[in-house]
Amino acid sequence: MRLDSIFVVLKREYLSRVKNKGFWIATLAVPLFAAAVTILPTLLISKSHTSQTIVVVDATGQGAGEALKVQMAQTAKTAAAKPKEKGTVPSRRLGKGDSRLADFTIETQTPAANPQAQRRELDARVRQGKADAWMWFGPGMLKDEAAEYHARNTTNFITQETLRGDLSEVVRRIRLREAGIDPARMEELTKRVELDAKQVPGTGTSGGGVAGLIFAVVLFFLLYMSILMWGQQVMTGVLEEKGTRVIEVLISAITPFELMMGKLLGICLVGMTQLAIWLGTVLVLTAPGIVATLAFLPAGVTMPTLTIGMMLNLAFLFILGFFAYATFYAAIGASFNNLQEAQQVASIAVVFIVAPVMVINQIINDPSSTMAVAMSLFPLFTPLIMPLRIAIEMPPAWQLALAYVLTLTFVIGMIWICSRIYRVGILMYGKKPTIQEIWRWAWHA
Amino acid sequence: MNPILEVRDVRKSYGDFVAVGGVSMSVPPGSIFGLLGPNGAGKTSTIRMIMNITAPDTGEILVFGRPRTPNDLRRIGYLPEERGLYRKMTVMDQLLFLGEIRGMKRAALVPEIDRWLGRVELAKWSGSKIEELSKGMQQKVQLIGTVLHKPDLLILDEPFSGLDPINQELFRELLQDYRSQGKSVVLSTHGMELAERMCDHICLISNGRAVLDGNLKEIKHRLGGNSFRVIAEGDLDRLRAMPEVEQATIQNNDEIKLMLRPDADGAETLRQMIGFLKVREFRSEEPELEQIFMKAVRDAA
Repeated sequence: MRLDSIFVVLKREYLSRVKNKGFWIATLAVPLFAAAVTILPTLLISKSHTSQTIVVVDATGQGAGEALKVQMAQTAKTAAAKPKEKGTVPSRRLGKGDSRLADFTIETQTPAANPQAQRRELDARVRQGKADAWMWFGPGMLKDEAAEYHARNTTNFITQETLRGDLSEVVRRIRLREAGIDPARMEELTKRVELDAKQVPGTGTSGGGVAGLIFAVVLFFLLYMSILMWGQQVMTGVLEEKGTRVIEVLISAITPFELMMGKLLGICLVGMTQLAIWLGTVLVLTAPGIVATLAFLPAGVTMPTLTIGMMLNLAFLFILGFFAYATFYAAIGASFNNLQEAQQVASIAVVFIVAPVMVINQIINDPSSTMAVAMSLFPLFTPLIMPLRIAIEMPPAWQLALAYVLTLTFVIGMIWICSRIYRVGILMYGKKPTIQEIWRWAWHA
Repeated sequence: MNPILEVRDVRKSYGDFVAVGGVSMSVPPGSIFGLLGPNGAGKTSTIRMIMNITAPDTGEILVFGRPRTPNDLRRIGYLPEERGLYRKMTVMDQLLFLGEIRGMKRAALVPEIDRWLGRVELAKWSGSKIEELSKGMQQKVQLIGTVLHKPDLLILDEPFSGLDPINQELFRELLQDYRSQGKSVVLSTHGMELAERMCDHICLISNGRAVLDGNLKEIKHRLGGNSFRVIAEGDLDRLRAMPEVEQATIQNNDEIKLMLRPDADGAETLRQMIGFLKVREFRSEEPELEQIFMKAVRDAA
């Protein structure tokens, strides 16, 4: 084996990709796209308040309609006035002090002598667009009947959720009053306790809280994307050499093993370059000051930081992950004649690489659970699960060491088997080989 | 002189199909060696075994006097039958790459590449991508890639296919230059005329077997002692029926290529021919390779 031959191939693989405009477009598009899908909707929502007019016909006789009007005006006011609390988890439950999608204008009516005519008239108003919806509070609502809600569309779950929440609050107060209990006293006594989550120093590497969580998930998906994308690049690269018959010239100059290793290392380096650019972007964006000025995140939320140790772990895990999958892709690319044939078998790799995505929620919730530990030690999952665990909570050193040993052993095994398949397959043309044949190449060739 | 390349009774079968059924050949240094034969004779299969792309079932291949080692790769230049270059790479980058994988240094390569590109009139294409070039141009680039590292042995599979006569001539000159530096060229072709014009040694392959092998001049001398050019009119069928006649082919109108059996006497045959033909010319001649080839194939069958 000649290292200089490997290096020449590596250089070609690396430069031919990095010099390509497409690489830079893809590399820059990902952060832009990510920013677009996360930041834009938030900006749009916060900037675009709509107002909805809802007509309420109150037949309860207890002033539920008026109470709702007051209640909704009040929550809107407190939401606007309430400063963001330090470390607050942004709540998804609208109507609980968070900014609302819409301002509601409630218009109350008393039930008319002819309810049918009143209903028809209200329907007409909604149809004409003079009101967005109308509601009917029957006398039984204070017991257990539902409130009627009539609107042009009934899939506006967020609006309905808001209304349901506020109306429940109103009705509860009326019920309490009827039972002779002071609602204000009741509220005082049943107040929720908030959890102020803080990470124990020295256990983790991220800033904790939501920011740390988002950071872990972003890391996970960047690695996932890189391994999948660049692994497949290895396959298409091998297929190209086979298809254009460049391979015969190459094989007459260097050994198949040198060629395969050069290709794997070159493309691995391209993937690392891209990851470095992405992580660099993350570092710049999360640098103190920048985020605050951009004001995308609530003030005072501690941003996760990338330590040197964490970055080294990430780099090693990426290399191992890339090799675990790319060796397979190289063997598949070498065995088949075109992309269609190869893709069918290559989907086996996708199954393994997608599996960690399925359990990401469980791992985030308990990164030290038996399942999380087991999966992070399985060589095909280690490169994705381990970074996720590291980002959330640093695993014990022995687990990390064991994972490295297992994955490295696995990767060496993959290189050995796949280079044997590659060596034979790369010069096979014509008939599509069966899996049994490919298996034979690995062991008997 | 020790041969640069020696192939000893090499055989290769794919299932029941015998691609190469016993080929031996010996390539002396400083020669152009032609591997000849019709399509499907086993030329490419033989070359692929020489290049270690496939392994022979039996037999032995010696390069530079010993079984080949991976380091020998750098002393060999190979042009495969199916040409291939990276489509998206520029001519310069491509050639630099092909030189570098054979251990050459970039600084030494650039002037060498420029010199070659100038010689094949591709200088102004050096920055163009391969996919922008015509097939003929691509072939020239690939040939440069084959000789850049100044190999001691060039192995070219059908180097002339797809080239126009001007470029064929250019290739021929390049190869003869190469030979004059004491290096060897093995080329396969099914074009007998071309082979005849440039090869010193030949190996004729038919149906996977070497039917003739040796120095072209010697072969011609050995097999062509009884070849004649005849200009005559009359009953040619009767001529072909004569026991002394090995082969009689009509060239244009009344010109006949006549090959007699090795033991036949030319003068005696002429005397008999005069009896039924109006002979205007009867001249002893070197046989054409094609005639030799066809005879060898017939004898082997």
